[in-house]
Amino acid sequence: MLVLKAVLVLAALGAFSAALLATAARRFHVDVDPKVELVFEALPGSNCGACGNPSCFAVAERVSAGSLKVDTCVAGGQSVADALAKVLGVTGVEVEASVSVLHCGGGTRSARSYRYSGLHSCNAVARLAGGPLRCPAGCIGFGDCARACPFDAIIMGDDGLPIVDLEACTGCGICVRECPRAGSHHLLELLPVATRVVVRCSTRERVKERRESCPVCCIACKKCEKVCDVDAIVVVDGLAVIDQALCTACGACIEECPQNCIGRIDQGACAAEVSA
Amino acid sequence: MALLFVGAALINNILLTRFIALCSFFGISNDMDTSVGMSLAVIFVMVMASTATWLLWNVVLAPLGVGEFLYIPAFILIIAALVQFVEMYLRKASPALYRAMGIYLPLITTNCAVLAAATEVAKPGFFKMNMAYSYGFFEGLVYTIGVAAGYGFALVSFTALRERLETAPVPAALRGIPMAFITAGLLSLGYVGLGGLFGL
Repeated sequence: MLVLKAVLVLAALGAFSAALLATAARRFHVDVDPKVELVFEALPGSNCGACGNPSCFAVAERVSAGSLKVDTCVAGGQSVADALAKVLGVTGVEVEASVSVLHCGGGTRSARSYRYSGLHSCNAVARLAGGPLRCPAGCIGFGDCARACPFDAIIMGDDGLPIVDLEACTGCGICVRECPRAGSHHLLELLPVATRVVVRCSTRERVKERRESCPVCCIACKKCEKVCDVDAIVVVDGLAVIDQALCTACGACIEECPQNCIGRIDQGACAAEVSA
Repeated sequence: MALLFVGAALINNILLTRFIALCSFFGISNDMDTSVGMSLAVIFVMVMASTATWLLWNVVLAPLGVGEFLYIPAFILIIAALVQFVEMYLRKASPALYRAMGIYLPLITTNCAVLAAATEVAKPGFFKMNMAYSYGFFEGLVYTIGVAAGYGFALVSFTALRERLETAPVPAALRGIPMAFITAGLLSLGYVGLGGLFGL
Protein backbone atom coordinates (compact mmCIF):
# COMPACT_ATOMS: atom_id res chain seq x y z
CA MET A 1 0.00 0.00 0.00
CA LEU A 2 2.83 2.35 1.00
CA VAL A 3 4.71 1.56 -2.21
CA LEU A 4 1.62 2.27 -4.28
CA LYS A 5 1.10 5.55 -2.45
CA ALA A 6 4.75 6.55 -3.07
CA VAL A 7 4.52 5.69 -6.76
CA LEU A 8 1.31 7.68 -7.10
CA VAL A 9 2.77 10.70 -5.28
CA LEU A 10 5.88 10.70 -7.44
CA ALA A 11 3.85 10.21 -10.62
CA ALA A 12 1.56 13.08 -9.62
CA LEU A 13 4.55 15.31 -8.93
CA GLY A 14 6.07 14.39 -12.28
CA ALA A 15 2.81 15.11 -14.09
CA PHE A 16 2.42 18.41 -12.22
CA SER A 17 5.98 19.50 -13.11
CA ALA A 18 5.53 18.45 -16.74
CA ALA A 19 2.26 20.37 -16.99
CA LEU A 20 3.83 23.42 -15.34
CA LEU A 21 6.77 23.41 -17.75
CA ALA A 22 4.64 22.72 -20.81
CA THR A 23 2.33 25.59 -19.94
CA ALA A 24 5.27 27.87 -19.21
CA ALA A 25 6.98 26.92 -22.49
CA ARG A 26 3.86 27.97 -24.41
CA ARG A 27 2.94 30.99 -22.28
CA PHE A 28 6.45 32.45 -22.01
CA HIS A 29 7.64 31.53 -25.48
CA VAL A 30 10.08 34.11 -26.84
CA ASP A 31 10.59 34.53 -30.56
CA VAL A 32 14.23 35.21 -31.31
CA ASP A 33 14.94 36.93 -34.60
CA PRO A 34 16.92 34.40 -36.69
CA LYS A 35 18.98 37.32 -37.98
CA VAL A 36 20.15 38.09 -34.42
CA GLU A 37 21.24 34.48 -33.98
CA LEU A 38 23.18 34.54 -37.26
CA VAL A 39 24.89 37.81 -36.32
CA PHE A 40 25.70 36.43 -32.84
CA GLU A 41 27.30 33.34 -34.38
CA ALA A 42 29.46 35.54 -36.62
CA LEU A 43 30.80 37.55 -33.65
CA PRO A 44 33.88 36.31 -31.72
CA GLY A 45 31.86 35.63 -28.54
CA SER A 46 34.67 36.78 -26.29
CA ASN A 47 32.49 39.45 -24.57
CA CYS A 48 35.62 41.62 -24.33
CA GLY A 49 33.66 44.89 -24.17
CA ALA A 50 36.13 46.73 -26.39
CA CYS A 51 33.27 48.09 -28.50
CA GLY A 52 31.62 49.59 -25.42
CA ASN A 53 28.78 47.06 -25.28
CA PRO A 54 28.25 44.66 -22.35
CA SER A 55 28.22 41.45 -24.40
CA CYS A 56 28.43 40.04 -27.91
CA PHE A 57 24.71 39.20 -27.72
CA ALA A 58 23.88 42.85 -27.05
CA VAL A 59 25.97 43.78 -30.09
CA ALA A 60 24.15 41.16 -32.19
CA GLU A 61 20.79 42.63 -31.21
CA ARG A 62 21.81 46.21 -31.90
CA VAL A 63 23.61 45.44 -35.17
CA SER A 64 20.55 43.51 -36.37
CA ALA A 65 18.31 46.41 -35.41
CA GLY A 66 20.55 48.80 -37.36
CA SER A 67 21.53 50.94 -34.36
CA LEU A 68 25.18 49.82 -34.56
CA LYS A 69 27.45 49.72 -37.58
CA VAL A 70 28.62 46.44 -39.12
CA ASP A 71 32.25 47.27 -38.26
CA THR A 72 31.45 47.76 -34.54
CA CYS A 73 33.39 44.69 -33.39
CA VAL A 74 36.86 46.08 -32.72
CA ALA A 75 38.32 42.72 -31.76
CA GLY A 76 36.93 40.91 -34.80
CA GLY A 77 38.47 43.20 -37.39
CA GLN A 78 37.85 42.83 -41.09
CA SER A 79 36.91 39.12 -41.06
CA VAL A 80 34.06 39.60 -38.58
CA ALA A 81 32.90 42.77 -40.33
CA ASP A 82 32.80 40.83 -43.61
CA ALA A 83 30.82 38.01 -41.96
CA LEU A 84 28.33 40.47 -40.48
CA ALA A 85 28.04 42.32 -43.77
CA LYS A 86 27.23 39.01 -45.50
CA VAL A 87 24.47 38.22 -42.97
CA LEU A 88 22.97 41.68 -43.21
CA GLY A 89 23.44 42.12 -46.95
CA VAL A 90 25.76 45.13 -46.69
CA THR A 91 28.66 45.69 -49.09
CA GLY A 92 31.92 47.64 -49.10
CA VAL A 93 32.77 47.53 -45.38
CA GLU A 94 36.35 48.57 -44.68
CA VAL A 95 37.77 48.22 -41.17
CA GLU A 96 40.96 50.00 -40.18
CA ALA A 97 42.66 47.41 -37.99
CA SER A 98 45.01 48.57 -35.25
CA VAL A 99 47.49 46.98 -32.88
CA SER A 100 48.82 47.84 -29.45
CA VAL A 101 52.25 49.45 -29.54
CA LEU A 102 54.62 50.10 -26.62
CA HIS A 103 56.49 53.39 -26.40
CA CYS A 104 59.23 52.41 -23.95
CA GLY A 105 62.59 50.71 -24.30
CA GLY A 106 63.73 51.00 -20.71
CA GLY A 107 62.31 48.13 -18.69
CA THR A 108 64.84 46.64 -16.30
CA ARG A 109 67.48 49.09 -17.59
CA SER A 110 65.63 52.11 -16.18
CA ALA A 111 66.86 53.74 -12.97
CA ARG A 112 64.77 53.21 -9.83
CA SER A 113 63.73 55.79 -7.28
CA TYR A 114 62.87 53.21 -4.63
CA ARG A 115 62.81 49.45 -4.10
CA TYR A 116 59.36 47.99 -4.16
CA SER A 117 58.19 44.73 -2.68
CA GLY A 118 54.45 44.19 -2.65
CA LEU A 119 51.55 43.49 -4.94
CA HIS A 120 52.84 42.75 -8.44
CA SER A 121 50.49 45.13 -10.17
CA CYS A 122 51.39 48.20 -12.24
CA ASN A 123 48.15 49.89 -11.19
CA ALA A 124 48.93 49.32 -7.50
CA VAL A 125 52.54 50.51 -7.56
CA ALA A 126 51.78 53.48 -9.84
CA ARG A 127 49.82 54.90 -6.91
CA LEU A 128 52.92 54.90 -4.68
CA ALA A 129 54.68 58.17 -5.53
CA GLY A 130 54.14 57.54 -9.25
CA GLY A 131 55.85 54.15 -9.27
CA PRO A 132 59.37 52.85 -8.59
CA LEU A 133 60.91 54.13 -11.85
CA ARG A 134 62.72 57.46 -12.01
CA CYS A 135 61.05 57.98 -15.41
CA PRO A 136 57.41 58.95 -14.82
CA ALA A 137 56.42 57.52 -18.21
CA GLY A 138 58.39 54.24 -18.14
CA CYS A 139 56.90 50.78 -18.29
CA ILE A 140 56.65 49.42 -14.74
CA GLY A 141 56.70 45.86 -16.03
CA PHE A 142 54.40 43.96 -13.68
CA GLY A 143 52.30 42.88 -16.64
CA ASP A 144 48.81 44.24 -15.94
CA CYS A 145 48.40 44.54 -19.72
CA ALA A 146 49.39 40.90 -20.31
CA ARG A 147 46.94 39.68 -17.65
CA ALA A 148 44.15 41.85 -19.01
CA CYS A 149 44.57 40.76 -22.64
CA PRO A 150 41.69 38.37 -23.43
CA PHE A 151 43.47 37.14 -26.55
CA ASP A 152 46.80 36.20 -24.89
CA ALA A 153 48.54 38.53 -27.30
CA ILE A 154 50.96 39.98 -24.72
CA ILE A 155 53.72 38.22 -22.80
CA MET A 156 56.28 39.82 -20.51
CA GLY A 157 59.86 39.71 -21.79
CA ASP A 158 62.95 39.09 -19.67
CA ASP A 159 63.75 42.80 -19.85
CA GLY A 160 60.52 43.65 -18.02
CA LEU A 161 58.74 44.96 -21.10
CA PRO A 162 55.58 43.56 -22.67
CA ILE A 163 55.95 41.85 -26.04
CA VAL A 164 52.90 42.19 -28.24
CA ASP A 165 52.16 39.32 -30.60
CA LEU A 166 51.07 41.39 -33.57
CA GLU A 167 49.22 38.49 -35.18
CA ALA A 168 47.20 37.74 -32.06
CA CYS A 169 46.57 41.40 -31.17
CA THR A 170 43.07 42.43 -32.24
CA GLY A 171 43.41 46.10 -31.32
CA CYS A 172 40.63 45.85 -28.76
CA GLY A 173 42.37 48.42 -26.54
CA ILE A 174 41.84 46.60 -23.23
CA CYS A 175 45.59 46.70 -22.46
CA VAL A 176 45.65 50.44 -23.19
CA ARG A 177 42.86 51.03 -20.68
CA GLU A 178 44.54 48.76 -18.10
CA CYS A 179 47.96 50.46 -18.29
CA PRO A 180 48.31 53.19 -15.65
CA ARG A 181 50.72 55.06 -17.92
CA ALA A 182 48.59 54.92 -21.07
CA GLY A 183 46.28 57.78 -20.14
CA SER A 184 48.89 60.34 -19.17
CA HIS A 185 51.90 59.32 -21.25
CA HIS A 186 50.56 57.13 -24.11
CA LEU A 187 52.94 54.37 -23.09
CA LEU A 188 50.69 51.84 -24.82
CA GLU A 189 48.91 53.17 -27.88
CA LEU A 190 46.67 51.75 -30.57
CA LEU A 191 48.24 52.41 -33.97
CA PRO A 192 47.19 51.27 -37.46
CA VAL A 193 48.29 47.75 -38.27
CA ALA A 194 50.38 49.21 -41.14
CA THR A 195 52.67 50.91 -38.56
CA ARG A 196 56.23 49.70 -39.00
CA VAL A 197 58.52 52.07 -37.10
CA VAL A 198 57.89 53.45 -33.59
CA VAL A 199 59.64 55.61 -31.03
CA ARG A 200 60.35 53.60 -27.87
CA CYS A 201 60.04 56.54 -25.52
CA SER A 202 57.11 58.62 -24.32
CA THR A 203 58.51 60.80 -21.54
CA ARG A 204 58.11 64.58 -21.49
CA GLU A 205 60.73 65.23 -18.82
CA ARG A 206 63.66 67.53 -19.34
CA VAL A 207 66.43 65.85 -21.36
CA LYS A 208 68.94 66.00 -18.49
CA GLU A 209 66.56 64.08 -16.21
CA ARG A 210 65.72 61.62 -18.96
CA ARG A 211 69.37 60.75 -19.39
CA GLU A 212 69.68 60.05 -15.67
CA SER A 213 66.61 57.86 -15.54
CA CYS A 214 66.86 55.71 -18.69
CA PRO A 215 69.62 54.71 -21.15
CA VAL A 216 67.09 54.20 -24.00
CA CYS A 217 65.38 57.59 -23.85
CA CYS A 218 64.85 60.08 -26.67
CA ILE A 219 67.27 62.98 -26.12
CA ALA A 220 65.72 65.24 -28.78
CA CYS A 221 68.98 65.39 -30.75
CA LYS A 222 66.94 65.65 -33.97
CA LYS A 223 69.32 63.33 -35.88
CA CYS A 224 66.32 61.20 -36.90
CA GLU A 225 64.50 64.29 -38.12
CA LYS A 226 67.46 65.33 -40.25
CA VAL A 227 68.08 61.91 -41.74
CA CYS A 228 64.47 61.26 -42.77
CA ASP A 229 64.08 61.84 -46.51
CA VAL A 230 60.29 61.98 -46.43
CA ASP A 231 59.95 64.28 -43.40
CA ALA A 232 57.96 61.63 -41.58
CA ILE A 233 59.69 62.20 -38.23
CA VAL A 234 59.59 65.44 -36.27
CA VAL A 235 60.77 66.28 -32.75
CA VAL A 236 57.86 67.85 -30.88
CA ASP A 237 58.28 69.06 -27.28
CA GLY A 238 61.56 67.18 -27.00
CA LEU A 239 60.21 63.85 -28.26
CA ALA A 240 60.47 62.29 -31.73
CA VAL A 241 57.07 61.66 -33.32
CA ILE A 242 56.58 59.58 -36.47
CA ASP A 243 53.87 60.39 -38.99
CA GLN A 244 52.83 56.85 -39.93
CA ALA A 245 51.17 58.05 -43.14
CA LEU A 246 54.48 59.38 -44.50
CA CYS A 247 56.89 56.79 -43.05
CA THR A 248 58.35 54.41 -45.65
CA ALA A 249 60.13 52.29 -43.02
CA CYS A 250 63.47 52.82 -44.76
CA GLY A 251 65.22 52.39 -41.42
CA ALA A 252 67.51 55.43 -41.70
CA CYS A 253 66.27 56.91 -38.40
CA ILE A 254 66.71 53.55 -36.63
CA GLU A 255 70.35 53.42 -37.65
CA GLU A 256 70.96 57.07 -36.89
CA CYS A 257 69.42 57.17 -33.39
CA PRO A 258 72.30 57.28 -30.85
CA GLN A 259 69.98 56.08 -28.06
CA ASN A 260 68.50 53.10 -29.96
CA CYS A 261 65.07 54.29 -29.02
CA ILE A 262 63.52 53.95 -32.47
CA GLY A 263 62.64 50.46 -33.66
CA ARG A 264 60.56 48.35 -36.00
CA ILE A 265 57.44 46.54 -35.00
CA ASP A 266 57.21 44.32 -38.08
CA GLN A 267 55.49 41.02 -37.42
CA GLY A 268 57.86 38.48 -35.96
CA ALA A 269 60.61 41.02 -35.45
CA CYS A 270 58.91 42.69 -32.54
CA ALA A 271 60.13 40.33 -29.80
CA ALA A 272 63.75 40.56 -30.90
CA GLU A 273 63.42 44.29 -31.28
CA VAL A 274 62.05 44.90 -27.81
CA SER A 275 64.39 42.58 -25.96
CA ALA A 276 67.50 43.69 -27.88
CA MET B 1 14.87 34.95 14.21
CA ALA B 2 18.14 36.95 14.28
CA LEU B 3 19.92 34.02 15.93
CA LEU B 4 18.46 31.66 13.36
CA PHE B 5 19.88 33.88 10.61
CA VAL B 6 23.33 34.21 12.22
CA GLY B 7 23.43 30.48 12.94
CA ALA B 8 22.55 29.61 9.34
CA ALA B 9 24.85 32.20 7.74
CA LEU B 10 28.00 31.99 9.87
CA ILE B 11 28.12 29.27 12.50
CA ASN B 12 26.68 26.52 10.31
CA ASN B 13 28.00 28.06 7.09
CA ILE B 14 27.01 25.69 4.33
CA LEU B 15 30.34 25.96 2.51
CA LEU B 16 33.00 26.22 5.17
CA THR B 17 31.45 24.43 8.14
CA ARG B 18 29.23 21.84 6.48
CA PHE B 19 31.35 21.42 3.30
CA ILE B 20 28.39 21.32 0.92
CA ALA B 21 28.40 22.84 -2.60
CA LEU B 22 32.19 22.91 -2.79
CA CYS B 23 32.10 22.32 -6.56
CA SER B 24 30.67 25.77 -7.22
CA PHE B 25 32.86 27.20 -4.43
CA PHE B 26 36.07 26.21 -6.20
CA GLY B 27 34.70 26.36 -9.73
CA ILE B 28 33.62 29.99 -9.95
CA SER B 29 35.70 31.73 -7.30
CA ASN B 30 38.23 33.01 -9.86
CA ASP B 31 36.35 36.15 -10.72
CA MET B 32 34.55 38.62 -8.45
CA ASP B 33 31.81 39.54 -10.93
CA THR B 34 30.96 35.89 -11.48
CA SER B 35 30.84 35.04 -7.80
CA VAL B 36 28.62 38.03 -6.96
CA GLY B 37 26.25 36.97 -9.76
CA MET B 38 26.26 33.39 -8.52
CA SER B 39 25.61 34.46 -4.92
CA LEU B 40 22.58 36.54 -5.93
CA ALA B 41 21.27 33.73 -8.11
CA VAL B 42 21.66 31.22 -5.25
CA ILE B 43 19.74 33.50 -2.84
CA PHE B 44 16.94 33.79 -5.38
CA VAL B 45 16.72 30.10 -6.26
CA MET B 46 17.18 28.88 -2.68
CA VAL B 47 14.29 31.00 -1.40
CA MET B 48 12.03 29.81 -4.21
CA ALA B 49 13.05 26.16 -3.81
CA SER B 50 12.74 26.08 -0.01
CA THR B 51 9.29 27.67 -0.16
CA ALA B 52 8.15 25.05 -2.65
CA THR B 53 9.63 22.11 -0.75
CA TRP B 54 8.25 23.35 2.61
CA LEU B 55 4.79 23.35 1.06
CA LEU B 56 5.38 19.96 -0.58
CA TRP B 57 6.55 18.41 2.70
CA ASN B 58 3.83 19.87 4.89
CA VAL B 59 0.92 19.54 2.43
CA VAL B 60 1.70 16.32 0.56
CA LEU B 61 4.58 14.15 1.79
CA ALA B 62 4.20 14.28 5.60
CA PRO B 63 0.39 13.89 5.73
CA LEU B 64 0.54 10.89 3.36
CA GLY B 65 3.35 9.31 5.38
CA VAL B 66 5.68 8.84 2.39
CA GLY B 67 8.06 11.72 3.13
CA GLU B 68 10.80 9.82 4.96
CA PHE B 69 11.95 7.82 1.95
CA LEU B 70 10.55 9.91 -0.89
CA TYR B 71 11.72 13.38 0.00
CA ILE B 72 15.03 13.41 -1.96
CA PRO B 73 13.63 12.44 -5.40
CA ALA B 74 10.54 14.59 -4.82
CA PHE B 75 12.60 17.64 -3.85
CA ILE B 76 15.04 17.20 -6.75
CA LEU B 77 12.12 16.98 -9.15
CA ILE B 78 10.43 20.06 -7.76
CA ILE B 79 13.65 22.13 -7.61
CA ALA B 80 14.63 21.21 -11.17
CA ALA B 81 11.17 22.02 -12.52
CA LEU B 82 11.06 25.27 -10.57
CA VAL B 83 14.42 26.45 -11.87
CA GLN B 84 13.38 25.67 -15.44
CA PHE B 85 10.12 27.54 -14.89
CA VAL B 86 11.88 30.59 -13.44
CA GLU B 87 14.32 30.57 -16.36
CA MET B 88 11.46 30.59 -18.89
CA TYR B 89 9.62 33.30 -16.99
CA LEU B 90 12.68 35.53 -16.71
CA ARG B 91 13.46 35.16 -20.39
CA LYS B 92 10.03 36.51 -21.22
CA ALA B 93 9.50 39.04 -18.43
CA SER B 94 12.96 40.48 -17.88
CA PRO B 95 15.45 39.76 -20.68
CA ALA B 96 18.12 41.91 -19.01
CA LEU B 97 17.94 39.93 -15.76
CA TYR B 98 17.75 36.70 -17.73
CA ARG B 99 20.95 37.60 -19.55
CA ALA B 100 22.66 38.49 -16.26
CA MET B 101 21.55 35.31 -14.46
CA GLY B 102 21.02 33.06 -17.47
CA ILE B 103 24.32 31.23 -17.20
CA TYR B 104 23.92 30.44 -13.54
CA LEU B 105 20.26 29.50 -13.26
CA PRO B 106 20.55 26.06 -14.94
CA LEU B 107 23.77 25.38 -13.02
CA ILE B 108 22.05 25.98 -9.71
CA THR B 109 19.57 23.20 -10.49
CA THR B 110 22.35 20.77 -9.64
CA ASN B 111 23.76 22.80 -6.76
CA CYS B 112 23.60 20.53 -3.71
CA ALA B 113 23.35 23.59 -1.42
CA VAL B 114 19.81 24.22 -2.68
CA LEU B 115 18.76 20.64 -1.91
CA ALA B 116 20.50 20.74 1.47
CA ALA B 117 18.77 23.97 2.53
CA ALA B 118 15.41 22.72 1.30
CA THR B 119 15.90 19.44 3.17
CA GLU B 120 16.82 21.22 6.38
CA VAL B 121 13.73 23.45 6.17
CA ALA B 122 11.44 20.46 5.69
CA LYS B 123 13.26 18.02 7.99
CA PRO B 124 15.26 19.92 10.65
CA GLY B 125 18.26 18.05 12.00
CA PHE B 126 20.56 17.81 9.01
CA PHE B 127 22.52 20.90 10.00
CA LYS B 128 22.24 20.16 13.71
CA MET B 129 20.72 23.57 14.40
CA ASN B 130 19.21 22.25 17.65
CA MET B 131 15.71 22.82 16.42
CA ALA B 132 13.37 20.84 18.64
CA TYR B 133 10.44 21.35 16.28
CA SER B 134 9.79 21.79 12.56
CA TYR B 135 10.32 25.18 11.01
CA GLY B 136 7.29 27.38 10.51
CA PHE B 137 6.99 28.97 7.08
CA PHE B 138 8.62 32.28 8.04
CA GLU B 139 11.30 30.57 10.16
CA GLY B 140 12.12 28.44 7.14
CA LEU B 141 12.32 31.55 4.99
CA VAL B 142 14.68 33.34 7.40
CA TYR B 143 16.79 30.20 7.69
CA THR B 144 17.03 29.83 3.90
CA ILE B 145 17.99 33.47 3.39
CA GLY B 146 20.62 32.99 6.11
CA VAL B 147 22.09 29.92 4.39
CA ALA B 148 22.14 31.72 1.02
CA ALA B 149 23.70 34.85 2.54
CA GLY B 150 26.33 32.68 4.23
CA TYR B 151 27.04 30.99 0.89
CA GLY B 152 27.40 34.38 -0.80
CA PHE B 153 29.58 35.84 1.94
CA ALA B 154 31.93 32.87 2.01
CA LEU B 155 32.13 32.76 -1.79
CA VAL B 156 32.84 36.47 -2.20
CA SER B 157 35.45 36.57 0.59
CA PHE B 158 37.13 33.46 -0.84
CA THR B 159 37.15 35.02 -4.31
CA ALA B 160 38.78 38.15 -2.92
CA LEU B 161 41.50 35.98 -1.35
CA ARG B 162 42.03 34.03 -4.57
CA GLU B 163 42.29 37.23 -6.61
CA ARG B 164 44.94 38.45 -4.17
CA LEU B 165 46.75 35.11 -4.37
CA GLU B 166 47.03 35.49 -8.16
CA THR B 167 49.69 38.12 -7.61
CA ALA B 168 51.29 36.61 -4.50
CA PRO B 169 54.63 34.76 -4.63
CA VAL B 170 53.12 31.27 -4.25
CA PRO B 171 55.48 28.31 -4.96
CA ALA B 172 54.88 26.97 -8.49
CA ALA B 173 53.76 23.54 -7.24
CA LEU B 174 50.99 25.08 -5.17
CA ARG B 175 49.65 27.58 -7.70
CA GLY B 176 45.99 27.34 -8.63
CA ILE B 177 43.70 24.72 -7.06
CA PRO B 178 46.16 23.38 -4.41
CA MET B 179 46.59 26.86 -2.97
CA ALA B 180 42.82 27.37 -3.18
CA PHE B 181 42.26 24.25 -1.05
CA ILE B 182 44.81 25.38 1.55
CA THR B 183 43.19 28.82 1.69
CA ALA B 184 39.71 27.29 1.98
CA GLY B 185 40.97 25.11 4.84
CA LEU B 186 42.32 28.12 6.74
CA LEU B 187 39.13 30.09 6.06
CA SER B 188 37.13 27.11 7.26
CA LEU B 189 39.08 27.07 10.54
CA GLY B 190 37.97 30.65 11.07
CA TYR B 191 34.33 29.74 10.53
CA VAL B 192 34.51 26.66 12.75
CA GLY B 193 35.97 28.94 15.42
CA LEU B 194 32.66 30.81 15.47
CA GLY B 195 30.98 27.71 16.96
CA GLY B 196 29.54 28.51 20.36
CA LEU B 197 28.84 32.14 19.46
CA PHE B 198 25.58 33.21 21.16
CA GLY B 199 25.38 29.66 22.50
CA LEU B 200 24.67 28.32 19.03
